[in-house]
Amino acid sequence: MTLLPSCHDVQTHLTEYLEGALPFHRRLGIGVHLLLCRVCSGVLRGLQALPWVAKASLKAPETAPEEARRALADVQALLRKGSR
Amino acid sequence: MTEASLTETDLIQRAAQGDSDAFGDLVRPHLALFHNGIQRILGNSADAQDALQDALLSIHKDLPRFEGRSRFSSWGYKICMNSALMFRRSRVRIQDMERPEPLALGPFDAAGHHTETDRRPEWQVEAQAHDLVERGELRDCLMRALDELPDSQRIVFVLKDVEDWEMEDVARHLQLAPGAVRQRLHRARALLQTRLRDHVLGGRP
Ligand SMILES: [Zn+2]
Repeated sequence: MTLLPSCHDVQTHLTEYLEGALPFHRRLGIGVHLLLCRVCSGVLRGLQALPWVAKASLKAPETAPEEARRALADVQALLRKGSR
Repeated sequence: MTEASLTETDLIQRAAQGDSDAFGDLVRPHLALFHNGIQRILGNSADAQDALQDALLSIHKDLPRFEGRSRFSSWGYKICMNSALMFRRSRVRIQDMERPEPLALGPFDAAGHHTETDRRPEWQVEAQAHDLVERGELRDCLMRALDELPDSQRIVFVLKDVEDWEMEDVARHLQLAPGAVRQRLHRARALLQTRLRDHVLGGRP
């Protein structure tokens, strides 16, 4: 019987670990596991990278897609109707 | 004051007075940004189109109240976010059952430890994702993965990890306990990481 949490246990709680939401002894166990386990520390790095990967990958394209331009044209048409 | 900001101020005044061409010229440079923000929340749906139209009308209506304290693009973006969040709240959703997405990446043995540590290619996100991100090659993969998520997880991921909201603000907006927000965020991150890893490592579909 080991005192360290299993890989499954660690990976299940990584967001809570990152957010500082775990009690001290859980934090410690997970912290030590992460030092020893290259798979779980890889998963942790993956989680930490997600925000920048997502922000960079999901940023707005240079030009608005057709449906967005159509929405603007529709609104402009409404404005013209309203000002008459 | 720069030429560009003078022009924008001018356009704002004319648009507020009902000049629809001025409104078009004012909004067009930011239209991709506005649409993208809405689409990240609502996905590629008819709702996104309606939310954008709604937001553009609100922007027009509120123009007289725009005081120039923030940039027009940030001010307009906020209105777009509000519109998307309102649409999300009000749309009739297919019962958003919590599907049992894995919270951990696995596979594990009976004791919960990794079984294939040595055979499994390692996910070197720093090295592998940078180039792909720069070449824009992860966008489609991420969009597909986001669409796979239940709405309740997608919204948490988008607000927290993409829009950089504070955890408490996400919890307040969704009327959830912080623990429930963290749980949804974690499920979303686990699925997105699995999809990205599979894509980057070129392995499983
Ligand atoms: Zn591990």
